[in-house]
Amino acid sequence: MRPTVLIVDDHASFRRSARRLLEADGFVVVGEASDGASALAEVKALRPQLVLLDVLLPDVDGFAVADALARESWRPLVVLTSSREAADLGTRLERTTAAGFLHKSELSGAALAALLDAA
Amino acid sequence: MIQERARLGLAVLGAALGAYAIGIAIWVPDSLTLPAPVHVVIGWSFVGAGMLAWARRPENRTGLIMTLTGIVWFGRDFDWMGGALTTHVDGLATTLFVAMVAHQLVVFPHGRARSRAERALVASAYALASVGYLVANLSGVGNDVVDALAIVLALGVIAHLVGRWRAATAPGRRALAPIVWTGPAVIVVILATLASDTGGPPSAQRNDALHWAAVVYAAIPLALLAGLLRTRLHRAALGELVVELSELPQPAQVRAALARALGDPSLEIAFWLPEQERYVDLNGRALELPDGGEQAVSVLEHDGEKLAALVYDPSLLEDAAFVAAAGAAARLALENARLHADLRAQLAEVRASRARIVEAGDAERRRLERDLHDGAQQRLLGIRLALRLARGQVDDGGRAVDDLLVEAEEEVEGTLAELRALARGIHPAVLTEEGLAPALETLARRAPVPVILASMPGEERLPAAVEAAAYFLASEALANVAKYAQATQVRIEIVRDNNTLVIDISDDGIGGADAAGGSGLIGLHDRVEALNGSLRIESPPGCGTRLHAEIPCA
Repeated sequence: MRPTVLIVDDHASFRRSARRLLEADGFVVVGEASDGASALAEVKALRPQLVLLDVLLPDVDGFAVADALARESWRPLVVLTSSREAADLGTRLERTTAAGFLHKSELSGAALAALLDAA
Repeated sequence: MIQERARLGLAVLGAALGAYAIGIAIWVPDSLTLPAPVHVVIGWSFVGAGMLAWARRPENRTGLIMTLTGIVWFGRDFDWMGGALTTHVDGLATTLFVAMVAHQLVVFPHGRARSRAERALVASAYALASVGYLVANLSGVGNDVVDALAIVLALGVIAHLVGRWRAATAPGRRALAPIVWTGPAVIVVILATLASDTGGPPSAQRNDALHWAAVVYAAIPLALLAGLLRTRLHRAALGELVVELSELPQPAQVRAALARALGDPSLEIAFWLPEQERYVDLNGRALELPDGGEQAVSVLEHDGEKLAALVYDPSLLEDAAFVAAAGAAARLALENARLHADLRAQLAEVRASRARIVEAGDAERRRLERDLHDGAQQRLLGIRLALRLARGQVDDGGRAVDDLLVEAEEEVEGTLAELRALARGIHPAVLTEEGLAPALETLARRAPVPVILASMPGEERLPAAVEAAAYFLASEALANVAKYAQATQVRIEIVRDNNTLVIDISDDGIGGADAAGGSGLIGLHDRVEALNGSLRIESPPGCGTRLHAEIPCA
């Protein structure tokens, strides 16, 4: 069965590219969200297996969304992503409840699948 | 001129009346109730002390009233001639003398009644001494009533003195003290005289009272004069002030000199800055003048322009002319101090505006970084992902197309990396979002030379401008180390010491850095100084470079 994924990013162009890339690599993109609040609502409604979560969102940051998701009854695998490098995100990345981090330019179905398999 | 003639006339009159009293004491024995020398000394002490007070403090009426009191005292010396008129002159002079003493006690040291209560006390004393005396003596009735009223009035004067003493501040009490110590004695003696004055023949008891009265009466003008001379101590201080100020004191010493001269340690000076239309203190900080209340304000002007305002203890208002005189004596020194205050105010303004410029620059940097991140970077990422997608869809026959796509992907990746470095240099996101310590850790990880973070401030965030200054200090230092120092390691130590952030960055390189030169270092100096901090760079050849900064971060 193909894994389901929710893409959370405030940049529509990135959501579009990511959707095409992941769908081409065999994922089912069940939805998109552009901020932290709607991401939480979409996860409840759509119950995706995986959430590709941008760090810098207009309302709350991705770390806070990951923490909130970790407290929910439906706990998808959360992969943080950012156009900034891991080093630029400081210590928050070391403390996060998310399962992994992918730089946006490293995004691919294979990379996500590897994280999903490791979980 | 007229005043001087009047003074001379009264002096001659006083001397003549005294001589006349001595004359009748010799030619008409027993005509005086007191021994002649005591009688004359009392009168002359009032006239003499009054003259002295009048000469020294011409604007103060106390001297005139004292002199007149002495002359009235001698008005008792015509009773020996016999007849109803001289008897009444004698009686009126006696009661008027007491009323005048009461008058002086009430209005001392200003010489003028300054409140309704004071005016009422003085007017009652004179009314009782003149109308009360005449009614009681001409009609022969109501003598007891007049005596009783006199006792009430005397108690009123004591109460008034006590009240004034309690309300007075240090400079005021200094002037009041001699009066407060003799005043009650005077009143007690007057009461004793009234009580023993039964109108009958002289008794031993009455003579005792009169003798005690004489001693106290002679003390009154001395006490009044002492009180006036005590306020005159200020005048001597004015001389000292002029000398002190002529030696061109430091601006900070002007306040101390004025405070000493006015006998008011709490004195404050507010300097008027005409261009900014506001008062400032010596350090250029804005100052609001008190509006009434517990402090008095005297505005000093020169050529119709406001110069400064003295804020002082209101008891000195008794001598407003003196405050003005002290202010005038200090005018040059005050003008000098005002320049100093003006300069300080301008410096503070420049520093504040520099801080605002640095802050605005930082805000602009943060905005630029965010714009780069949200704009160009996101578009390039989109292209990057699209290229990867395209590559996946090229079938095996399109090797040449695949190569092109790989090349394009690498170009985009390189551009993205450059953009990230640019954005980070403009303003690192980790500094904005996580604070100084995480930002420095990131900086240290990227540095080409090993960096030891010996001590970092805690998690508590510092003001953004302070964090930015400390971060860019470290970043510039590390960049310089990489370029010139040939160092094997760098040590960064940042400690928050009370309300100061102390930053120490040292390397083990070749030293010899130009501490003053380099646009990067000059920019850092500006940044640190805009925050009222200091930056020192030591770089002896062969001994490494040490950069030490202290930035207030309250």
